[in-house]
Amino acid sequence: MDLTRQKIHTKPLTDDLRGEFLGSRGVNAKLIWDLMRPDTDCFGPDNVLIFGAGTLTGTNAPCSGRTTVTCKGAETNLYLKGSMGGHWGAELKFAGYDHLVFLGVSQKPVCLWIDNERVEIRDATNLWGKNVEETDKVLKEELGDEDIKIACIGPAGENLVRFAMIMSCVHHAAGRGGAGAVMGSKRLKAIAVRGEGDIRVKEPERFGLVVGAVREALAADNTAKSMYVYGTSGGLAFTNSLGRLPCYNFRLGQLENVYPITGQCLVEQRYLKRRIGCFGCTISCHRYSMVESGPYSGTGCGGPEYESFASLGADTGVIDTQAVIKANQLCNDFGLDTISTGSVIAWAMECFEKGVIAKTDTRGLELNFGSAEALLTMVPLIARRADSIGNLLAEGVKRAAEKLGKDSRKWAICNSKGLEQSMVETRCSKGYALAFAVNPRGPDHLHACPWAERGSSTEAIALVEKLTGNRKCASPYLTEYRPEIVRWHEDCYAVTDSLGFCMIASLTSYSINPKNMAKMFSFATGHPMDDSEIMLAGRRILTLEKCFNVREGADRKLDDLPWRLMNEPAPTGPGKGLVNSKEELDKMLDKYYLLHGWDQRSGTPTRETLGMLGLKDVADELRKLGKLPAH
Amino acid sequence: MGRRVLAIDTNRCTGCKACVMACSFAKEKVFSEAKARLWIVRAERQGIATPVLCEQCESPPCELVCPVRAISKNPMNGVVEIDSNRCIGCKECFWICPFGAVSIDVEKRIAVKCDLCDGSPECVKACVPRALQYVNAVRPASIRMEKQSMKRFDVVRR
Repeated sequence: MDLTRQKIHTKPLTDDLRGEFLGSRGVNAKLIWDLMRPDTDCFGPDNVLIFGAGTLTGTNAPCSGRTTVTCKGAETNLYLKGSMGGHWGAELKFAGYDHLVFLGVSQKPVCLWIDNERVEIRDATNLWGKNVEETDKVLKEELGDEDIKIACIGPAGENLVRFAMIMSCVHHAAGRGGAGAVMGSKRLKAIAVRGEGDIRVKEPERFGLVVGAVREALAADNTAKSMYVYGTSGGLAFTNSLGRLPCYNFRLGQLENVYPITGQCLVEQRYLKRRIGCFGCTISCHRYSMVESGPYSGTGCGGPEYESFASLGADTGVIDTQAVIKANQLCNDFGLDTISTGSVIAWAMECFEKGVIAKTDTRGLELNFGSAEALLTMVPLIARRADSIGNLLAEGVKRAAEKLGKDSRKWAICNSKGLEQSMVETRCSKGYALAFAVNPRGPDHLHACPWAERGSSTEAIALVEKLTGNRKCASPYLTEYRPEIVRWHEDCYAVTDSLGFCMIASLTSYSINPKNMAKMFSFATGHPMDDSEIMLAGRRILTLEKCFNVREGADRKLDDLPWRLMNEPAPTGPGKGLVNSKEELDKMLDKYYLLHGWDQRSGTPTRETLGMLGLKDVADELRKLGKLPAH
Repeated sequence: MGRRVLAIDTNRCTGCKACVMACSFAKEKVFSEAKARLWIVRAERQGIATPVLCEQCESPPCELVCPVRAISKNPMNGVVEIDSNRCIGCKECFWICPFGAVSIDVEKRIAVKCDLCDGSPECVKACVPRALQYVNAVRPASIRMEKQSMKRFDVVRR
């Protein structure tokens, strides 16, 4: 879709692309590498926004309903791969499409309407300004079908808030990095899909057998069961007990009373009304919660998830179930990433505490830690870029700290790339520390979630033993073997994303693994692959993503962590005194780059490594731009 | 032993549609909502989802209205069956069903409905949260009672 010229082109997805890049995230990466030049404005017509449904999305492969969103991110101006669940991706597949590529900028607000084969760009002036729920309601009425699936932005995306997100089916976010702002900059309000076709697999019997076995494994898995009952936030209490829950802008790792912001509380205090599953998911970790009493009575929203509770609750100090549900609902409806929103507000609270932001800057609002009023006032201000404070925070914590100065970057919990860190105490989780540092989009867990290092399940310990030769390496306090553990999770995650699987099934439960992913891919597409081949494809994909950043001028210096976590030791709990020091990080990075076959000084993939992965043309382009390390 | 019935617990349904895909795949070897014999009704904004399928009625309205007597209730297993050889595609059964559980096959243009997969329903196998269960006919009432009494202990079971 060329939104500048309002023109639509359709192309078939070739076998080559499938074989080399699998689908979804992988094919997105190849498309965006080919379509973009470096140094483009993320809000300009040359940014490319790509949606890719998983290879297996729309089949009965368990937990395969996810969609990747790829673009140059608004927070970092680097590679952004986001992921959203719900039912939108499956609907796109049933309509007969795998990827949507948006180029240019529309003069007026538009929405894309995909009615099976028919694709149409429609005027969306009447939708512009509406919240996510209202957009969903009005568009479904307009198109006369409650069963269509809509991906849309809220006012935050329209206002180019740097951490605005894209919402799939009302409750499932492609949350991080500002994909919603990129969509807003293109004046693309929504993508509505109706898909009523068939999806076939090449070998139905063999496919069905693997699916059956995987389904059984997932059904028996304790992590999966726990996710269904208590959601992702069911693990908050355990994380807190280990001193690994970021609180008060990462100044503490543990709360005395964490109960109000846990999945157990949602269930036991009857806030949880529904358990929600993405298309084809056998786990169904998503929630729908409602508040039925108190000042926020009548509030209902998807979630809260672990990260939302941790960010809007623990990080800001608002340990209040009802207020956090309200904050989550506001974020969802405005179209704001809950993680960045909580983090940037927590930063502002610390600024206020230190006198760097004063009441004169906040129209008299006391921006105190723990204040529900502060939290709930700030969210709409940010979404609307209202008042100087709303506008400042809407820029994300990195730019806000640069603007404000006064050492405020020291408590801005983002790394040099610029994304706010997700709610993991990396000072006492060394594998996560490495994974966060090397993530192309910034420090979060959605690139190589090395959950196994915690050793909190038999599958996790078995995996660590396989990767390191020693089950005792399943400890997050160790730095040894973190590169090996992270690398496996990176490869597996790339395959997971590309096939449409959810990482909870493959990297937390481990019931979906490279072996059965390869089988399902082979029987579905007719393109035979074993586990090592599919993991190599995963490696190819994430290496290409890294090259996108190299092309933008990123190097090893951006593979770091927030200042606070690198310089201030964890104050309390089991991880007390630990820090993500530069020396420690450098050691892990050296080994990580070595394992990858990347230049250790710059962190750039070498010509040899790129050749080995079948990315010779990528190497050629980087060399022409002078970005390839001398060899 | 007794007859078995397909029981629905809507509270457990998460709207994932694994059942729908399992059905169309088992019956037609494709993934397609149109080709399944059961569906999920979703109210997305409210997070609500529930399965809709044939209740294998005791006095099936579809059997009553069929002008060529293509529909009958099997006395052995209680399944309401459509004889595809007799069906003329008049769609009376499609319109009369109170649940909307009969569909018209797009290609063959005749009525199709759930046949409980010869006693081993695929949808039940696919439903991990166990919103769909194939249970002894006396059980559905006891499932509800079990849930109600468990609530007194403040335990929410899967």
